[in-house]
Amino acid sequence: MAFYRGQQGSVKFEDTGGATALITSTRSWSMTVEKESLDTTALGATYRANVGGLISGSGTVEVLYTASSSDETNSFIEMVNTATDEGAAAFELLLTTGKSITFDGVITSAEYSATVGEIEVITVSFVTNGAITLGI
Amino acid sequence: MAAVNLNTVRSVIEGRLATELAIAPVIPVVFHNQPFTPTPRSLWVQCLVSFGGNNYLTLGGTTGSSNSVIGVIVINIFTAKGVGPGANYTIGKRIRDLYNRQIISGVHFDPPTGPEVLGSPSPEGYFQTQVRMTFETFEDL
Repeated sequence: MAFYRGQQGSVKFEDTGGATALITSTRSWSMTVEKESLDTTALGATYRANVGGLISGSGTVEVLYTASSSDETNSFIEMVNTATDEGAAAFELLLTTGKSITFDGVITSAEYSATVGEIEVITVSFVTNGAITLGI
Repeated sequence: MAAVNLNTVRSVIEGRLATELAIAPVIPVVFHNQPFTPTPRSLWVQCLVSFGGNNYLTLGGTTGSSNSVIGVIVINIFTAKGVGPGANYTIGKRIRDLYNRQIISGVHFDPPTGPEVLGSPSPEGYFQTQVRMTFETFEDL
């Protein structure tokens, strides 16, 4: 049985429609895929009934700041500040090589911080737009 | 992009101290694993560089990833016994100023501790203080 450690993961991103490229200096990522539940309980029933509804995802990526200026990492940490965003940016979150979650999405926030004595970290949050492919 | 060269880091740290203490008044400085017989009642400095914790910084395998390499510098300052701490603290200030919050060739130095008086000097017969600080450098694989 194979197990994996966090450092085997990675994040790829592309905001202009090409192939996704590696976001360098990524420290961590996390994503939650949620499905709404719709109550279909009949009047007079003893037990509640539910069916699945709409599926969506959201998550965060932590990136260490490296002052890169012309790669996808730079686009990634600045994209929250774009005027128009149609949710077409491509995300690929990898658990290990060849095992990934892919989707288009919108970056909803970026938290930039500097704390004395610590490495500078930028936390980018996103939500999905449309289908999510779980290739894991 | 390569694994960190520990001797390059060591030379950054030791070279900075050796250069400073070569300025008049010259003070002898001895490093790890070097023979040295001090002259009684003389001034001299011992610099000990050790590497400690290493941590993951980023995701990734043996390429395209980064680690943090942390170490500690212990600098012992020996001056004549029975004449007060002034001469010792003068050297201590020079050493403290040399590293305090500096970033040299990718080596980040934290604020130093000391000069702290040691009650039992080693070797005996001196007034000994100690300046200690941690440092961090980053390894890009």
